[in-house]
Amino acid sequence: MSETWRQYICRACGLIYDEAKGDEDSGLAPGTRFEDIPGDWACPLCGVTKADFEPYEAPMAGAALAQPAVVTAGRRPGVVIVGGGAAGWAVAAALRAQDPDASITLVTACAGDIYNKPELSVALSRGMSADGLRRETGDQAAARLGVRLLAKIHAIAIDAGRSRLRTTGGIISYSHLVLAHGAKPALPRSLPSNLCWRVNDLGAWEQLRARMGEATQRIVIVGAGMVGCELAEDFARAGHGVTLLDVEARPLAGLLPSQASDRLLQGLTALGVRFHGGVAVTGVDRRSDGRLNVALDHGSTIAADFVVAATGLATDLRLAVSAGLLVDGGIAVDPASMRTSAPNIFALGDCVSIDGQPCRFVEPIAGQAGAIAQAITGALTGDERPASGPAPLVIRLKTRSAPITIHGAPDPQGAWRVIQDSRDGLVMEQWRDGTLRSRLAA
Amino acid sequence: MDSATVLDRRIATTWTDAEVLEGVAAIAAGPLRAAAPAIDHGHYPLDIMAELGRVGALGVHLKRHGGRLGVAIAAMEGASRACGSTGFLMWAHDVCGLYLENAGNPALSTTLLEAHAQGLAFGGTGLSNPMKALSGVESFLLRARKVANGYRVSGSLPWVSHIAPGQYFGAMAAVVDGARSVSHEILFIVRCDERVQLRPCPTFSGMEGTSTWGVRLDDLLVTPADLVADPARPFVARIRESFILLQTGMALGIIAGCLDDMRQVEPVLGRTNRFLADRPDELAAEAAELRARIMRLAETPHDGGRDYRIEVLDARIHGAELALRAAQSALLHQGARGYLAEAAPQRRVREAHFCAIVTPAIKHLRFELSKLMTDEYPS
Repeated sequence: MSETWRQYICRACGLIYDEAKGDEDSGLAPGTRFEDIPGDWACPLCGVTKADFEPYEAPMAGAALAQPAVVTAGRRPGVVIVGGGAAGWAVAAALRAQDPDASITLVTACAGDIYNKPELSVALSRGMSADGLRRETGDQAAARLGVRLLAKIHAIAIDAGRSRLRTTGGIISYSHLVLAHGAKPALPRSLPSNLCWRVNDLGAWEQLRARMGEATQRIVIVGAGMVGCELAEDFARAGHGVTLLDVEARPLAGLLPSQASDRLLQGLTALGVRFHGGVAVTGVDRRSDGRLNVALDHGSTIAADFVVAATGLATDLRLAVSAGLLVDGGIAVDPASMRTSAPNIFALGDCVSIDGQPCRFVEPIAGQAGAIAQAITGALTGDERPASGPAPLVIRLKTRSAPITIHGAPDPQGAWRVIQDSRDGLVMEQWRDGTLRSRLAA
Repeated sequence: MDSATVLDRRIATTWTDAEVLEGVAAIAAGPLRAAAPAIDHGHYPLDIMAELGRVGALGVHLKRHGGRLGVAIAAMEGASRACGSTGFLMWAHDVCGLYLENAGNPALSTTLLEAHAQGLAFGGTGLSNPMKALSGVESFLLRARKVANGYRVSGSLPWVSHIAPGQYFGAMAAVVDGARSVSHEILFIVRCDERVQLRPCPTFSGMEGTSTWGVRLDDLLVTPADLVADPARPFVARIRESFILLQTGMALGIIAGCLDDMRQVEPVLGRTNRFLADRPDELAAEAAELRARIMRLAETPHDGGRDYRIEVLDARIHGAELALRAAQSALLHQGARGYLAEAAPQRRVREAHFCAIVTPAIKHLRFELSKLMTDEYPS
């Protein structure tokens, strides 16, 4: 018979009964097996009964180290970045390039892994895996840049008057705070979060990819904006049956003139994507066979294995509001320095708004990060050099069936002039007050 | 008590906010302040609780008395400024009132509730384990099985406060069918009569006057007359924010007491105390902001939205954190005199730590926040 002694833990107070030691105060000699303890024995610490104990195995050494680091007070306040996506890491890299000694802390709700988000909407048809998309883990990036990374920690509130960030890992004091927490998919009530996928970060994409497996799936994509159109093409190229829905009559109606939408639609249709324009989803239900029913406003329903919502993004303004920052759909910033209405708080990327307009593209992030690094390091050394503003925008729609490039920031209500419309391509321009505002090539 | 007393007193329960707060201030500055060290070491101050009930401090948060959650928090703050244990008793009493008020059975929700609200009857709460169980941190310690005339409940709760023979408390049990699978939970009132075993707890480092006992239930029959909610989860979701917000009254009071301790020695020790961090004016400013935030949250306890829930949890955490800082600073400000066995600062250090570890503890609150802030995806 083995002499392996077992341990049992009290579910109420955490006391551990060790068979090897017994409980001499209660008359249980060392070596008393748990099953031999009388039924009226009680926990020597809290008094609950034997039935409230359960088998216990001591955790492996080092397991505690795998938990997210807990913040300790008393560190020298430095730059604190909220958000471990492209924007947050871009600021960390730009700061490090300008100041080898800067204290940089990055707080992020995700793992902080570095990947290129736009690749998420083309990855499936290219046979990519999450590991292939991941360029560097958060820990590797933190080591490379000398950043203290607090991964899987949520930022809760900002005490701007005392320059403190409240997080689920404790309170962090900052000299400068950079908000790079992005925007979240805006789900209408008709698309419940427990039934509808969103592809806005690597973690979600990885889960969706795993669930899709290798079978051919029927996928309904709600919303034919940039992400919806790109995902529709990607899923269709990967062999899945794709239905693309939008409340507008044509895809990307908010951004593109109708001539460009038409080319886009032709390209998608040629790949087998079924587009239904002018319809709204009224609800999604799970049927008894596990598949989903997507109900439309004109009464019909579409059966689907997966529903993916691409209904746009919205900035969660809770953090900014807790700091009393000016908000305007996003966090209002000065476009030259990316400074918010509080002097030592900056913001960039998907969470900001510039002149009331959100700017949710990857292209300007590097310029924004450089401007912030310059403003912060300049401030630290007392050198207030003027920051260079973000570069002009370029938007590229990664639909290989009909790729579209837009330079500048088009006005959704503005008129477009056709410069060229032929088999070779479509070129259109938007002018205002005698200057070229935007140029589109399809 | 006899019902005539209750009826007489009911006429007098049109407490104004000012009457409640002035009444609490007078009790706190008088008998409660004097009794605080004895309560810390084990005196259960039912006489003082009765006085607090008489001035309305134990009833104003109830719907029948205007649902004035902010006033109830301020009353708890006033008492905790003198004695944190009494603040905790008020909290336990207040949340028990919320259970009674919701009960469908008039025996609980009229006669007993009215006596409870006025401090003529006393009862506490045993929801520490259930709150952690609902959060996924523990499993339910009480198990119930359906019988013809109600439920039979068995199990042990390690510590239930503000109870004694003849008193009562709110408890929750997981309802199990034969195969040990849990169908739902019930919330009910346990009357501490001969069927209920109260067992002494190990000695705590403080808060000993809160009459905290281990409770063992052995096939206790819970009839529909003592049921508060079946199923319990929707009810708990309704009162969850009130339950947590009310606890902030303890923290605010302990912080106010610490500020008193610091300012008391300022004329004598200010010359050297100015070299300390967390000076009284700094702490007072932060406490005033937190208090304003708590009072704003207390106006809409049934908001239920995600942002509101995050704010409530964060305010509760902030209260505990600030109480810890204030208590340490009060002890440092008072020096040796604050380290005397009967000195207020060393008692407040233990009271502040209680605020930080009582369910939901800081770590549970952060765990809950983390869950609340993690986006849901299809499973």
